[in-house]
Amino acid sequence: MTHLTLEQLVQLREPGLEPGVSSLRAHLAECPQCQAEASRLDQRSARLRALPALRPARDHWSALERQFKVERRWRLVRRVSWIGLAAAAGFAVMFAIRAARSPSGPSKQIAIDEAKARSQQLEQLIQSYNPDARVTDGRTVRVAGELEDRIALLDQQLAAASRLDPRGRDAQLLGLWRQRVGLLNALVDVHMTRANAVGY
Amino acid sequence: MQGLSIFQSAMTDTYVLADAPALLARARAGDLTAFEQVYRAYEVPVYNLARRICRTVEDAEDVVQETFFEVCRSIHQYRGDGSLWGWVRTITASKALMRLRRNKYRDADEFEDELHRAPRNDSGLRMDLEAALERLPETSRAVVWLHDVEGYTHEEIAGMMGKTVSFSKSQLARAHTRLRRWLGEEPAA
Repeated sequence: MTHLTLEQLVQLREPGLEPGVSSLRAHLAECPQCQAEASRLDQRSARLRALPALRPARDHWSALERQFKVERRWRLVRRVSWIGLAAAAGFAVMFAIRAARSPSGPSKQIAIDEAKARSQQLEQLIQSYNPDARVTDGRTVRVAGELEDRIALLDQQLAAASRLDPRGRDAQLLGLWRQRVGLLNALVDVHMTRANAVGY
Repeated sequence: MQGLSIFQSAMTDTYVLADAPALLARARAGDLTAFEQVYRAYEVPVYNLARRICRTVEDAEDVVQETFFEVCRSIHQYRGDGSLWGWVRTITASKALMRLRRNKYRDADEFEDELHRAPRNDSGLRMDLEAALERLPETSRAVVWLHDVEGYTHEEIAGMMGKTVSFSKSQLARAHTRLRRWLGEEPAA
């Protein structure tokens, strides 16, 4: 007489009726040896379940807590970074529209002077904050770097625009100066908002 | 931990967290003390499951960290359809199995020699079973633990391991064949 293999006994423990299982069940019902083997299988599983739980040798909470706090800070910086970029884009669009409707003649020169003054104020504000001397995470550095690159590009455009024919020059200069103010505002937001958020 | 009580069944299948809805609401709001309560409630079963699957203590500890970090990050995705422990347990099993795959532990066949050298009449049954379980190849051990102890079906195990149902069934049978031999429980010829 051929007894059931362990694989077949394992199969019989599963719910459902697979092809060929009924004949195995019939054998099991009549064979004391296979019944004893099935019983040992069940007992082994029960003993596995009864094994005492292995416990960690050390507490992981403090490490996890640190990880959670770092993750939370990253999320905040990401959010602030996006706000900064969105603000920069918004300012750029706003100033482009304003430039299209810019005043003419002497009033245009006054508007340029105002934008220049505002630009200087913002630069002084950033200098007084002194971001280079502070601990800054990689993402803030990247966003601030992007804004600074765009400001550098604007400075080149301003230099080129100042050499243009006086007729179209003022309108272009005004638009560029206003864009510069917008980007500097965004840069201030990135540095200052982050500083406030993380408690520096 | 104040305000926290845990009921654990004999099968380590049910860990009920007292006042779970309120605790989860606090955890979802980012309250770290709520996360600590979740951690305290499940650290032992999570470690135990990870340790039963992973080869080393270090791997199991890493799985514990990864699991709770994932729980923290994904707590918004838990909708309360099943038990919280069921959800945490599945994350743990997935992380542990992922680590198993990543580490590319020794192939099961390398254990054949050890299998033939295994003692047949060890004294102290519990120690025998612990030692025999520890000695199983990683995949077989993971399957027998997930199926026989944690109560996962072959379909669920196959899904978590990225294998077929037949693979899970054959690994379970192989595990029991080896355990039977190592524990000296083979039927007399």
